[in-house]
Amino acid sequence: MVLEIFNVRKLIVPALVLGLALIFGLNLNDWNSNQSFFNNMVRIDNFSVAFSGLAIFVTLLIFILATDYYTDDQNHISDYMAILTFILVGALMMFNYANLTMLFLGIETLSIALYVMAGSKRFDIRSNEAGFKYFLMGSFASGFLLFGIALIYGASGSFDLSKIADYTIQHQQNISPLFYTGMFLVVFAMLFKVSAAPFHFWAPDVYHGSPALVTAYMSTLVKIAAFAAFYKLMSTTFFYAFEKVAPVLAISAIITLAVGNLMALAQTNFKRLLAYSGISHAGYLMLIILTAKNQTAGALFYYSLAYALSTLAAFAVAIPVFKAAKSEDISAFNGLAKKNPIHAAALSMAMIGLAGIPPFAGFLGKYYIFTEALQSDYFYTTLIAIFASMIGVYYYFKVIIAMYGQPANEAKMEQSFNYNLVLGVCIVLSILFGILPGPILNIF
Amino acid sequence: MSSQLIFFILAALSIMSALFVVFSKNPIYSVIWLIVCFFSIAGHYIMLNAQFLAIVHIIVYAGAIMVLMLFTVMLLNLNKATEPHKPMLYKLAAMISGGLMLLVLLASMRSTALGAYASPAYTESGYVQNVGMVLFTEFLLPFEMTSVLFIAAMIGAVVLAKKEVH
Repeated sequence: MVLEIFNVRKLIVPALVLGLALIFGLNLNDWNSNQSFFNNMVRIDNFSVAFSGLAIFVTLLIFILATDYYTDDQNHISDYMAILTFILVGALMMFNYANLTMLFLGIETLSIALYVMAGSKRFDIRSNEAGFKYFLMGSFASGFLLFGIALIYGASGSFDLSKIADYTIQHQQNISPLFYTGMFLVVFAMLFKVSAAPFHFWAPDVYHGSPALVTAYMSTLVKIAAFAAFYKLMSTTFFYAFEKVAPVLAISAIITLAVGNLMALAQTNFKRLLAYSGISHAGYLMLIILTAKNQTAGALFYYSLAYALSTLAAFAVAIPVFKAAKSEDISAFNGLAKKNPIHAAALSMAMIGLAGIPPFAGFLGKYYIFTEALQSDYFYTTLIAIFASMIGVYYYFKVIIAMYGQPANEAKMEQSFNYNLVLGVCIVLSILFGILPGPILNIF
Repeated sequence: MSSQLIFFILAALSIMSALFVVFSKNPIYSVIWLIVCFFSIAGHYIMLNAQFLAIVHIIVYAGAIMVLMLFTVMLLNLNKATEPHKPMLYKLAAMISGGLMLLVLLASMRSTALGAYASPAYTESGYVQNVGMVLFTEFLLPFEMTSVLFIAAMIGAVVLAKKEVH
């Protein structure tokens, strides 16, 4: 975190990458340590270590992309890098929290930094819109969260996750209505942060307007962080009050799946398409939140990993293509297969991975989620999710058809080592985990 | 008895000033009524023995945020009634959703068995000293992390507002 002070601009990104790699190693060192710090404000367990590792890894890849993404904007690179690092700090707080105040601070650190990044293309009206819209809606959701936390404190007398869980166990018959009100407010705020319907309206505009790199960051790290925090809340704290909130979550999951997939069909802008695809993936992940009682963290981690790898691979191809074509429509990919066959193949693999077709990790991720949901007797919800993923195949293939079926456009894509590196890493890992899911799935 | 009297005066003052905020035609008057409202709420905090909260409330809300609001109102020049009226449908939707929220909250508050009113006279938890003790022992990490949050917000503000040749 101290690395932001570096004055030599060229060195910032390598230094940050090195720092992140170090943190990655240090983080893994905490495996199986299971202890809490600072009066039980943060708790390090395998769950948090695994997700922190994933978050740091994603950030690492994003920073590698950033070297080339910001070549034209050297004046601001230090600011942007600092803010991206703060987003990571917020995300790490969201994985490790053991206290609701830490959860709130983590979400706020992540969001406020993100509002700025969404609006960081200052002379682009779309980016301004994205930043402002995200800011207004996000602060509203934060208000909900804070009010919910306050009510939970009023009912249980503590911010501590385990003490709140104790309260729900001890007062099983007469849990205060204040607690339920607070719990629902917190759940709504979390639904907003993971962009689940009916709180998804910000997502397409924000993803569309933000700079492509920030969209990549948003759709990977931020989504994973929100889901991990949500999962932790549901699986540990609201465990005994789960019955009340389950129908709401199930309905939200169904609407999310329907809205995400159906709206994605009509999109022509690639970033908007990925935004709606992100919403539909939020729908699948909602199934895990529904089954959080059965400790399904393994499936959540596997799916997050698969989703992050595919999305990052897609952006590693898309960013240079957008730069060359000066457009972010799907038509920018027209005829990519003739100009850059390797990149076209890689993007196809990323899209197939997102659609959930073997041998990529996306397929097994979906498979495990559906199995878990069926085991918890969410039969109809799972059925809808399966239909939704069939619809999903159509719009992912729209991109592939544009690359292979359409005549080529003029724009020439710049080759760059960094993009190719990220692309390669993502595709290889995606296939590897798709074939050998065991080590990741049984990580907890 | 006298403390109860003060409470009623403060409560009436804060509710009335809050109503004036909403009903004033002139936005400047709204802002000034809001200051009155904040001060009366700060009075409530002192009644509850939360001096620290009262002072912070006055400094942050009545001081910083009100100045910000006044500036915004002046810069936007909202005095003219240029604001177009929202369609009836929006008003209705806003009313229904707001009313539903109120209903849910009221229902949950009503069915909550609140304990008997305990006089706050002898709690010292609101004193500056005690708040500081808790903040720097039990809540040390959140306190420090708040500074990270502020740095992020500050850098963000600079990034967005820095003058730039384009």
